[in-house]
Amino acid sequence: MSGATRVVGHSLPRLDAPGKVTGSAVYAADFALPGMLYGKVFRSREPHARLVRLDTSRAAAIAGVRAVIAAADVPDVRYGAAVKDEPVFAPDIVRYVGQPVAAVAAVTLEAAEAALAAIEAVYEPLAPVLDLAAALAPGAPLVHEGWQAYTAIPILQRDGNVCNRARIVVGDVERGWAEADRVFEHRFTTAMVHQGYTEPRAAVAAWDSSGQVTVWSNTQLPFDVQATLADILAIAPSKIRVIVPGVGGGFGGKLRVGVEHFAALLARKAGRPVKVMTTSEEELTAAYPRQGTVIELKTGVTRDGRLTARQGRIYFDTGAFAGSGPGVASVATLVLAGPYRTPNLHLEGYAVYTNKTNCGSYRAPSGPQANFAVESQMDIIADALGIDPLELRLRNIVREGDEGPTGQVLSAVGLEECLRRAAEAIGWRDRRPGPGRGKGLAIGWWTTTGGSSGVYVKINPDGTVALNTGAVEIGTAALTGAAQVLAEALGVDLTDITVVSGDTFATPFDFGAQGSRTAFAVGNACRAAAAELQRKLFAQAAAQLGAAEETLELRDKHVVGPNGRISLAELARQSQLAGGGMIAHGTFIAPGTAYDTKRVEGHVYPAFHSPSFHAHAVDLSVDGETGEVTIHKYVVAQDVGFALNPTYVEGQIEGGVAQGLGQTLSEEIVYRDGRVLNANLTDYKMPTTLDVPRVESILVEHPGRVGPFGAKGVGEPPNVEPPAAVANAIAAAVGTRITSLPITAEKIVLGQNGGAR
Amino acid sequence: MSRFEYHQPESLRDAVALAGRFGAEASFLAGGTDLIVQIERGRVAPRHVIGLHRVPGLAGIAANGRIILGARVTHRAIEQAPALAGALRCLIEGAEVIGGHQVRNVATVGGNLVNASPAADLAPCLLALDGVVALVGPGGERELPVERFLLGPNRTARRPDELLNRVSLPGLPARTASAFLKAGRRRAMEISVVCVAARLTLDASLERCLEARVALGAVAPTAVRAHEAERALEGQPVGGEAFRRAAEAARAACRPIDDVRASAAFREHLVGVLVRRALDRCVERARQAT
Amino acid sequence: MAKIPITLQINGERHEALVEPDRTLLDVLRTELGLTGTKTNCLDAECGVCTVLVDGLAVNSCLYLAVVAQGRAITTIEGLAPAGSGRAPAGTLHPLQQAFVEHGAVQCGYCIPGMILSAKAYLDDHPRPSEAQIREALAGNLCRCTGYQKIVDAVLAAAQRMAGGAVAS
Repeated sequence: MSGATRVVGHSLPRLDAPGKVTGSAVYAADFALPGMLYGKVFRSREPHARLVRLDTSRAAAIAGVRAVIAAADVPDVRYGAAVKDEPVFAPDIVRYVGQPVAAVAAVTLEAAEAALAAIEAVYEPLAPVLDLAAALAPGAPLVHEGWQAYTAIPILQRDGNVCNRARIVVGDVERGWAEADRVFEHRFTTAMVHQGYTEPRAAVAAWDSSGQVTVWSNTQLPFDVQATLADILAIAPSKIRVIVPGVGGGFGGKLRVGVEHFAALLARKAGRPVKVMTTSEEELTAAYPRQGTVIELKTGVTRDGRLTARQGRIYFDTGAFAGSGPGVASVATLVLAGPYRTPNLHLEGYAVYTNKTNCGSYRAPSGPQANFAVESQMDIIADALGIDPLELRLRNIVREGDEGPTGQVLSAVGLEECLRRAAEAIGWRDRRPGPGRGKGLAIGWWTTTGGSSGVYVKINPDGTVALNTGAVEIGTAALTGAAQVLAEALGVDLTDITVVSGDTFATPFDFGAQGSRTAFAVGNACRAAAAELQRKLFAQAAAQLGAAEETLELRDKHVVGPNGRISLAELARQSQLAGGGMIAHGTFIAPGTAYDTKRVEGHVYPAFHSPSFHAHAVDLSVDGETGEVTIHKYVVAQDVGFALNPTYVEGQIEGGVAQGLGQTLSEEIVYRDGRVLNANLTDYKMPTTLDVPRVESILVEHPGRVGPFGAKGVGEPPNVEPPAAVANAIAAAVGTRITSLPITAEKIVLGQNGGAR
Repeated sequence: MSRFEYHQPESLRDAVALAGRFGAEASFLAGGTDLIVQIERGRVAPRHVIGLHRVPGLAGIAANGRIILGARVTHRAIEQAPALAGALRCLIEGAEVIGGHQVRNVATVGGNLVNASPAADLAPCLLALDGVVALVGPGGERELPVERFLLGPNRTARRPDELLNRVSLPGLPARTASAFLKAGRRRAMEISVVCVAARLTLDASLERCLEARVALGAVAPTAVRAHEAERALEGQPVGGEAFRRAAEAARAACRPIDDVRASAAFREHLVGVLVRRALDRCVERARQAT
Repeated sequence: MAKIPITLQINGERHEALVEPDRTLLDVLRTELGLTGTKTNCLDAECGVCTVLVDGLAVNSCLYLAVVAQGRAITTIEGLAPAGSGRAPAGTLHPLQQAFVEHGAVQCGYCIPGMILSAKAYLDDHPRPSEAQIREALAGNLCRCTGYQKIVDAVLAAAQRMAGGAVAS
């Protein structure tokens, strides 16, 4: 792994750790300005209604209140990642409990809360669309009567309550059924779950006298927020500066505007800086959680276990606004195919409107849901055919050079190694070690999202290096990884590098912390910048060293030639005096992945770039009387391409599994009649130290062609397989097959509809 | 502007006098882990909060035959009390599963009782141990068995001008053991889906049950004793048939609801399982202790 | 009601403040005193990011009234110092902080101050804990990034260092 490299591949401590362990690191939730006001959002209490009267006059009269705004006070703009359907404040129709209707800013939080209580809103209820079945029923009420007028990504297939239908068609599934000896059909459901970051969404906005606004926020995508704010504020993006001081976890929930627009609008109205921060209740009712789903999966196999065809439909309950639904529905089709050779495919993902909070992207969006269906069914098939589940997978998994479902050519396919090593580590030969105990497997594949990244790299006259990147560190240590790549290339130590990040004015563009792309893309941008710096350094040093540039190398913080060496510090000092400084710009964008365009329709994400492959294995026991699940061992084998920093790669796996187990066993946002019943952390049950087992991480390396040193994205994959791995192990342990998430003790004991009357 | 006026009496008499003066407009503050949450969420709005931190004599544990727990005894103090480690062990087991260390370090037995959540973990333990509360008011002190103190969800027999100042547990006969079990959706930080406390006193042969207490939490408007289950045990040989009948009787005694944590049907099922297991554990412990 | 003058003893220093009685210790720390190392989130004693030590015991400062903190010794993450010394010179980390850095136990870092203080309170009373005991001691501190594993490893390592090494504080 790391033998040939000095910095990359080593488990070095992350650069931002000291600030974090001493409490001196500042997060957006900590950020404050003198004279700052506190903003709060007034939200709908109806799931679907006409807002017939809104009276904010009493609120505005409360002592300490400095601004009250509603739809009439803001430009009539709709925003959204795929469909521009979302207003800042509901102008006439409210579409979910929690939808913003107005906002206030006051000198104290107490005064702001008093102002909210003084706002009067009168609603005329409309028939709510409460779930997928209701939304898709013939003649269903429309969540958006005016859906056709919305601006949307042109290729989306929209129709009424469906805000996208993405489809992959390969071959002919009818032929596949005919060739099959057995055809299996199953239905799966998964619940809405929240990312559970421990830092609420927060933003502070301040306008200056030139009409420019600065917004400090914990967003994962500062440039995307900048663009959205430009639409909402009706000013040029260059007048908007988004700065990310620090992020306390994101997992996709902090991609899009959450509170930044309220802060900016209130600050403009009040003439003072405004801070807005969400509460736990707002997070669990009005954020960007993972969509609940219904999945229908039909798979044909020969009697010796070869897949002949798969037909799948996954419906995403994406809530009142499209959000990330259309894109997630697209990605889902690739997960439904799985990393398997299947000649005939008909796979569809539907993003559907309902009167619930609009959902977004959560770590591997669509991954755990679709994978739960695919991998559970594989085990059901194995069982029915009398084939070992490991063997069934080995007979069908993709190999080097195979085609993916949309025709992309797969390379660096580490899947077989992952599967065999995970199975071995869990002791697969002994699948049922005792009564009530069983082992389960699940495999999958995932993408490394593209998008461009730019960096500036500057060598300081003291020999330290400044890495200036528009990327955001959300906790994964991706920027430490990128700095390791830079240090490797420049011949310096990791601790020589200081990182400045996440400022739309002062740092170059970055597509953002999404899709497991940051270390990958920023690392490659660093390599480009380092190459440019090397050119400049050698050009400057050559004469002084009396050597040709081709004979020079970077080593030990020096340019070294056959006749001597000069320190980088000295070269930087010279350049600062006479040449403007030793600085370079590096950029990177991943090359597109070729695929067959004829196979896809309505598809926003038609190929997995630099794909990773993974296998999870779990050994657990089930208490047959109480349904309690005890995990004895959990193993992950993940093809990471190249582990830039093994400790933090393991950290992604350990954390991703913990989060995945939460989704599997205990977490769900429960709606009844359009209202969330458990909008607090008492009843939204995230795993504690006592609920998470140790995870054994096996880092498999099949280096990809694109990533730095062959690295692939590592952050999202570990979230994908836990539900299926656990469901399969439970089935092995007690013979109970649960096809609905979360797999609660109640479902295990009483059956999957539980016991509710 | 503060939501309430704060008072810091320095004697029991002053604390009671303040309660007498403000009545239903006042709440006592001990650990605050229930009261402050409820104030923040707007579920209660006392105009006066009477902090008990400076009132002496409320935080001790006395053991001489009886056990006396001052109202301000924390869950942590219960966990660490040697006097509770024997036959009364179910109380430690009930105390150590609420919240995390942060909550248990400040949350008190008095506050837990007065808050009277139907799912409170200490309440079934106190019922199983024949706990008696002492209430001090302007007219003096009165005592009440815990079973008569808990009246409904967040409702007790405490009058607004009374302070709960201690809980007493009578001495237990030889060959007595207790156990507490809980079910929830995760292993910590959990409001019980169901909890059960049991206490058995065995005869000299350790084969027959002389006295039994079975108490259930989170399956009725208050923690409740399952009297029928206790009658099914007293005088019977331990284990097997008697425990099965007791578990059945306990199931019949509960009136659980469907809520976001579990269905009534699952709660009933769990009562049956946990009662049987708690009784088995009592027998194990009684036998080990001798 | 008029504000109440209180004196808070924080990290060995006296701080005077004038607070309404319904202000929480968390709010006073972060807003009045600018000590933002103690974090805010659920305000419900469910997540533990607000954990501070009061007389050496871990408490959720989001539910602890500032007026009740009067006269007690409060420790926040900013006050952690090597055992036995007073105010640490800049750049010196407590063994727990050092272990968290070395073992990769820090990801986003938002839960970390509370986590370290809960661990410190436990180790100060139980110098040789098992993994199970450490997990139980930290059950009131939610972490969403790490899956807890490297946090537990770091606490075990710090315990060894603290027990094997210096004078007790």
